[in-house]
Parts: sequence; structure tokens; C-alpha cells
Amino acid sequence: MEEKRPIRVLIAKVGCDIHERGALTLMTTLRDNGMEVIYTGRYQTPKGVANAAVSEDVDVVALSDHTGSLPIIAESVLSELEKFGVSDIKVVAGGLLTPADVKSLEDMGVTGNYGPGTPMEVIVEHIRGLV
Amino acid sequence: MGEQVEVKVDRKAGHMVRTSTQSGIEVKPFYNDKDVQHISYAEDLGDPGSYPFTRGLYPEMYRDRLWLKSFIVSYATAEETNKAFRQYIANGLTDLRLLCDLPTQSGIDPDHPSAWNSMMCGGVATYAINVYEEMLEGLPLGEAVFEFAHAGMSSFLYFYGLLVAVMENKGIDIKKLRGNSINDPIRSKLVYGCPDFPTFVDRRICLDHIEYSVRNTPNWRPIAPNGVDPCQAGMDAVKELGGCLAVATQVMTDLAERGITIDEFGPMVFALDAESDFFETIAKFRLARKMWAKIAKEKFNAKTKRAMQLKIGIRTSGLSLTHQKPLNNAARVTLQILSCVLGGVNSLDASSIDEAVGLPSIEARLFNLDTQHIITHEANVPLVADPLGGSYYLEWLTSHMETEVNKYLQEIEERGGVFACLESGWLNEVLEASRLKVQREKAEGKRLIVGVNAFRQEGEEGPVNKAIRDVAYKPPTVAAREEKVAEVKRYKAGRDMKRLKPLVKGLYRATKEGRNTQRPVIDAAKAGMTVGECVGVIRTAYGIHYDPFKEIEMPDFVREIVKET
Repeated sequence: MEEKRPIRVLIAKVGCDIHERGALTLMTTLRDNGMEVIYTGRYQTPKGVANAAVSEDVDVVALSDHTGSLPIIAESVLSELEKFGVSDIKVVAGGLLTPADVKSLEDMGVTGNYGPGTPMEVIVEHIRGLV
Repeated sequence: MGEQVEVKVDRKAGHMVRTSTQSGIEVKPFYNDKDVQHISYAEDLGDPGSYPFTRGLYPEMYRDRLWLKSFIVSYATAEETNKAFRQYIANGLTDLRLLCDLPTQSGIDPDHPSAWNSMMCGGVATYAINVYEEMLEGLPLGEAVFEFAHAGMSSFLYFYGLLVAVMENKGIDIKKLRGNSINDPIRSKLVYGCPDFPTFVDRRICLDHIEYSVRNTPNWRPIAPNGVDPCQAGMDAVKELGGCLAVATQVMTDLAERGITIDEFGPMVFALDAESDFFETIAKFRLARKMWAKIAKEKFNAKTKRAMQLKIGIRTSGLSLTHQKPLNNAARVTLQILSCVLGGVNSLDASSIDEAVGLPSIEARLFNLDTQHIITHEANVPLVADPLGGSYYLEWLTSHMETEVNKYLQEIEERGGVFACLESGWLNEVLEASRLKVQREKAEGKRLIVGVNAFRQEGEEGPVNKAIRDVAYKPPTVAAREEKVAEVKRYKAGRDMKRLKPLVKGLYRATKEGRNTQRPVIDAAKAGMTVGECVGVIRTAYGIHYDPFKEIEMPDFVREIVKET
């Protein structure tokens, strides 16, 4: 039987949002569930995130933000990913979200879109389902 | 671990799922006189107003003066924030927390490429003095109490500079300036990883700010070691308090080298977290006062009473609030406020019930003030100082935590002090281990969060919860951000460079020559120096890249200053 490579996830924070606990919690949870996880740390640029996603050959980019700017961040990261010509990297998002944010993220093709306190198993299952 | 399962609690039987406090202190089912035999009333407690101030700073406590009520008031524009301040003041708010947006807190201007995604989020894009002038228009600057709780160390230097500059421009005596800066260099790096300055610069800037303030604005508390943010990032109550004491001790030691004694410095302020564990939180506040009083007296030979007094400023736990069933947050915040009042704190910034949903709405904030008014005037809780003093459990817990905090302080000392612990990454390891412990407890059902991993909502959400979700403040649009960038560019282009340049040069030289940077910052800010320029010039004087993000080059006039000097 062919051995399947573990799911690779890049957790990214773009801009100056300092709320990191969600990203760290997701990182340890995904690792505990057998995934390979890279965390960019804070204060990243959209270009840097796209670059890391491509060079690390990840399956999923998970955007975390607690300033209410996820649609803006997702749009800029998606456009940077497009410049690399990659279309197979899935983008998911989580953090502070209004129903309108969720709608606009879904329209861009960003899935998940989880608010704070979402049960971790829901996120794990969602990422497994994507890949 | 990892999977967060819902814990099914048998509602009929009803049982606790743990036998320890939130910070993991194992407790017995009850306490009696034998558990407190080792505690001396005179030495460990004292009456309110008497050393070691365990029971409170003042004999009359809240009868004379209630705690200050404050909020971080952070709306996207100066105009909205000014309007909100006026509304809050009319409703009994006495303390103004001036916060700015995340990019300016990190030391960059709104026209910096990395500012875009977080611009006008978390507060006003406060790039220069014009913004403060608009934000503070018509407010009682000489009577209000201001608090700075920004992320980066550059913020305390620069925004205090702005406040002083605005007051001087209006002809108000800056000796009237009241309030405090967090100005905690450990927290800026440990919790925020703030990119503005390296730690050694942070440490110097911290002292510059304190030294200038002690000599020129005696009613400003220029440092308030911060336990709130480390606690929110995962530290438990023991390490939260231990961290604050370690920072305060280090800073007082450093100040002594600049010739400032603890009696000249005056009372210390700690910014502590009101967490969900009710009794542990109360014990922490009482213990904080006691431990600082002892350090001030025994280690720093404080002679005056005020130099032994620790004032406690609170932020209630934002992390404890849930996105699910936000109405429940009203119960959480009320209990946290109550723990603050029972713990005798001096100022209180309570979270709003919609904080996990979005930036707080004005209505939720006013509800928050009313909660404090109800605790005061209807429940009469503040009538008697330290009403839980003498409780077997609380006194045992306070005493037990003292032993634990002392062990932690000892370990920091053995590892070379708090800065060495930061630089070696040890503090980070402690934080991460503590955070993982909480995550594991939640996953294993040992820590229940109502509506999240227990007692989840079945079916549709009710109208009250839905309404709370709907009114939460919405972040600014792309168009608003574009307009802000244009505004900053216009502002920069419109400045009198003949006036500005020599003042910025003054800051550059003071930094390079090791003189206090605070006054040069005030003077240059008056002439329009922006926060990004302030950070960039100081960095350049240290020979490091002008831009903390290394994305932009220094402006021409700064390049000229470097050449000319």
C-alpha cells in the first residue's frame, strides 16, 4: 500500500494583530492529530505567507486574525498565491468573524471560517476533509 | 489530547470536575483555624491602610473613593473615539484608556505597507499630534486619568510625549497629568513579540520614560508591570504575580543607578488580570499588595508609606469570554468585577459581554458601567474593606500562593534575573507549558467552559444572544483605510520641515549620546514627528535598520540628519 504523506498546514498571521493563542492552540492540536504544521509567527506580510506556503509545499493555509480583518487578509493572501500560479492550496480562516465576514470569505473560496471557541475536532475534521 | 469533546455533566447529580483552582492549586473540601495558625494578623494582614496593606491601601477604602472605572476606548477614528469618551464620561467613567490601532502600537505609520491589514483595528490610527488633538478635543485633560496599555515600548515614549505635547500646547500644567503607562519591557517581548525595538533598546527607553516622568509629571505612574497579558497568553496566577514582582524589582534596581530612590518614585502600579477563579483572584490581589510592600521596605529600604503601596489596575479576562451564547459573558464579567471589589483594587477595566464577538459596542460598555454601579449602590459590596479577610480558606490560599510566588521569584533570580530569563527563552517555555496545560485540561474535560465544552447550546440561538452578536462594532472598510493612508501622506507633506528637522536631529543625537530621549520626543512630536519616524530615528541611532519590518527605507530628511551628525 502506498504510504500517504501527512497533511501539511501553514498557520499564518498577517499584519500587526498580536492575539496568538488561537494560532498556537491550533498548531498543537493539528500536530497531535498527525499533521505537519508550520507557524509563521506574527507580523507577516501576505507575500511572505504565500511564499512560505509554496516553498513549504503545504496543503492548507490557515489564517488567524482577531482584529476583524479576515476578509481583507484573505483577499491579499489569495491574490499573492495566485501570482505563484498555485490553485491546489486550500485556504481556511478563523478568529473574530461576523456573519457578513463569513459570507464574503465563502465567496472567495475560503472555508472553515470558525469563530473563537469552536471545538477543535470540528476544525481537524474540516481540514482532513479538504485534503 | 487535542480533541475538544463536550463534557456531559449529569445535571441531576451535579458534581465538580476538579479539586484544584484554575492555577492548579489543590484545595481541601474545607478549611478551619488549624490551616491559618501560622498567619499573624499584625505581620501578614494589618488593618486596611496599614503595612503590609494585604487588606487594602486605605483605612476607609471605597467609602472615601471608589475604584476608577476605565475602558480601553478604541474606535477607528479620532472623531468616533472623542464622541465615545464624552458619552462614557457622562455615564460615570473616570479613567480614559487611550489605545491606538495595532500598527501604530507596533511602531509603524498607517502608510507603511505592513499597516494595511490591521489599520484602524483595536483603536485610532494615532500617527501624529493632530490625531490626539482631535481625539482629546473638549475633554478635561487636567482632571482626567489616562492609561496607556499599548503593545510596544515605543508607544509609552511616544504617546506619553504626545499627551504632554498637547497639554503644553494648550497651556495646561503638565504636573496635573494623571494616570499610568504599562511600560513593561518584558511583556512587550514575551507576549507581543513587538518588532519596534530590540530588548536592550526597550530597557533603556523604559527607564528614560520613567526618569523624565518622575521628575516632571509626579502624578503619572510611569510603569505598571503587566500580568494581564502574560496571563491571557497562558501564565497562571502565581507566575502572573511573580512576573510583575520580578519586573518591578528589576526596574527599581535599574532606576537606582540613575539616582532615583523608591521614595522619589512613589507607589508602584501593577496591571493584573481578573480571572474566572473567584477566590484565587481575590487572594492574588491581596497578596500582590503584601509582597510589594515587603520588597519595597526590605529590599529597597522604602521610608515613606506611599513608596510601599501597590496600586492595582485591572483588566478582566477577555479570554474567559465566549463567542458561544454571549449573554453568559454578563455572568462571567459580573463575577470578575466582584472579585476585584472584594480584592480591593484601585482601577477596573472590565470586559464587555460582546468582546468575543467583535469590538465592544457602546451599549455593552454602558451595561458594564451599570454592573459596577449596581455592585456598589444596590448590593453595597464596597461598604466594608476586605470583607472576606479572616476567611479560613482565603487566608490559607493567600499564604499558600505567597510560598509559590516566592519559589518562582527564586528561580528567576537563580537564572540571572528577569531579562536573562526573557533572552534565554526560558520565560517563553514557561508560558508555553502553562498554555498547554490549560489546553489539555479543556480537552480532557477538567476545565469546563459553559457553552463551549459543556452545556452547549441546543438548536437555534435565542433573540438576546443574536442581538448581542448583531450590535458588536464592525471594523473599518477598505475605503476607510485608503482614505487614512492618503490623510497620512498629506499630513507628512504639509509639515514645516525647517522646524521639524532640527528637533528630530535632537532625538537622534540624544539617543546616540545616551541622554534621556523623552524630552526630545515631546519637542519633535509638537513639530509633527510621527510614531514611525520616532521609532525609525531611534533605531537608526543604534545602527539598526530604520524600519522594524525592513520593508521601507528611511525618509530623506532622516538620511540628511544621519549624514550631518
